[in-house]
Amino acid sequence: MLDLYDKIEEAKDFIASKWSGTPKTGIILGTGLGPFVERIEIEAEIDYESIPHFPSSTATSHRGRLICGKIDGVPVVAMEGRIHLYEGHAAKMITLPVRVMRAMGAKWLIASNAVGGMNPNYQAGDIMVIEDHINLMTDNPLIGVNDDRLGPRFPDMSEPYSLKMVDVALSIARKNDFVAHKGVLVSVTGPNLETRAEYRFLRLIGADVVGMSVVPEVITAVHCGMRVVGFSVVTDMCLPDALEPAVVDEIIATANAAEPKLRALVAGIVVHIGNSQ
Amino acid sequence: MGEHAASLSESAREATKYVASRYDRTPKVGIILGSGLGGIADLVEQSTCISYEETPCLARSTAIGHQGQFVCGRLGGVEAIVMQGRFHFYEGYATDDVTLPVEVMCGLGIQRLFVSNAAGGLNPQFSAGDVMILSGHLNRMHCKPQPGVPGGPANAWMQSTLRPYDPALNRIARQIARQHDFEAPLGIYAGHLGPNYETRAEYRYLRRIGADAVGMSTIPEVLVAEAHGVRTLAFSAITNVCSPDALSETTAEDVLKTAEEAGKKISKIVLGIMQHSLV
Repeated sequence: MLDLYDKIEEAKDFIASKWSGTPKTGIILGTGLGPFVERIEIEAEIDYESIPHFPSSTATSHRGRLICGKIDGVPVVAMEGRIHLYEGHAAKMITLPVRVMRAMGAKWLIASNAVGGMNPNYQAGDIMVIEDHINLMTDNPLIGVNDDRLGPRFPDMSEPYSLKMVDVALSIARKNDFVAHKGVLVSVTGPNLETRAEYRFLRLIGADVVGMSVVPEVITAVHCGMRVVGFSVVTDMCLPDALEPAVVDEIIATANAAEPKLRALVAGIVVHIGNSQ
Repeated sequence: MGEHAASLSESAREATKYVASRYDRTPKVGIILGSGLGGIADLVEQSTCISYEETPCLARSTAIGHQGQFVCGRLGGVEAIVMQGRFHFYEGYATDDVTLPVEVMCGLGIQRLFVSNAAGGLNPQFSAGDVMILSGHLNRMHCKPQPGVPGGPANAWMQSTLRPYDPALNRIARQIARQHDFEAPLGIYAGHLGPNYETRAEYRYLRRIGADAVGMSTIPEVLVAEAHGVRTLAFSAITNVCSPDALSETTAEDVLKTAEEAGKKISKIVLGIMQHSLV
């Protein structure tokens, strides 16, 4: 990990040459949630490919752009399109953008993803505010010699997601009159979806939704001292005794349809953070 | 070199040859000391210290609270080789790096392996400072064996592990604990990759699947020892109690401090069992 520090600085310096702002919050947009960028008053758009050391995204429906700008006057930096472990990158590389956002000045990270719902009280299109996670991924972004300039060797994980912001998010959902749950995300490496037996297993161990992202970014954010807010958009229900084949187009359509709710939540949190500092 | 030398990989053979050139006796017991448990190494008499750095093919240890050397000599009247410091997956080492020192000890001829680690307690009956004796483990470490060495550690991973933790040794160890007026309960150790500590949801999950304690080591070393026919007695120093419903922050410094307390108990058991005819 000792090589990361210089890479972060180089990426940060490159972005600073395109945008002079200091973000309060970094935002990562998941599958089908890209339209959220319409909510941002864009001041700079930078392709991942042009940023030194940024990995490039190959996943369906993910663009690869860093969006710099403001939401209701609060400066933010947003990743439109993320890089997944299943694309073959190492966890410490896919999480480099989080460290760059931290280096740019962001103290908060808002991460979102599309997930399968396993809690039978959820419905496709619902939003779950992530209260905690279970990491079943086979790689960890912190493996390697620890760079003490970036964070501690053994980060504490007693509250990776700000529990105060979980309450703020749920109250924003109530004010906007839509359903939002609070629950546990389990992350798996993927890329195949789960079998019925695996859904039973994941439900049994205490997870409400399952996805293939967010957790590496959150571990990295905790390591570098950021507070985190997480949102999972339930794009299909994965009930093992009534399981239907997953159709990627339908998943993306459900994500797009749920996007206005996510927009309200993310914008609400960004403004809340902006006002409280 | 001992009787296991024939089944060693080439790098293990080279490392074993070097250690044997510095330490010419045959150890009966191998000991791996985990976080904060280094004290036992100071009790070794007529000791020869061989750093990992100077030993061919061995990696270097980076974890805090870990030195990196073999301490060879007499412990409790028995010839022993102690690993002061070990290699962890979270440091970025490959499986072979993690297990090579164990292969060296097997190559030198050890008949028993004693292993300790610092672990978070999941069983609500545990308190910080307790010592748990491993009766089994749950391997959640995503170990990736390196293929290609017939009979070497790679294949060892594929073998079924019927009984890596010796029930007879466990019985004696618990008896010695009672003689010193403390309990050393049996339990299941869950090995996690790390390096971050677990979330509350992860503690609930690990408890639900049967784990009594969770840590980031031991399993690869135990599996390789078993593949060489060496039975293990393993201890977890319970450094904190991870109650998911009343979780407090965990710091590496607190973990090391409590590990030292538990380490004293582990030392008593290890020194006691050295005198036993089974060892």
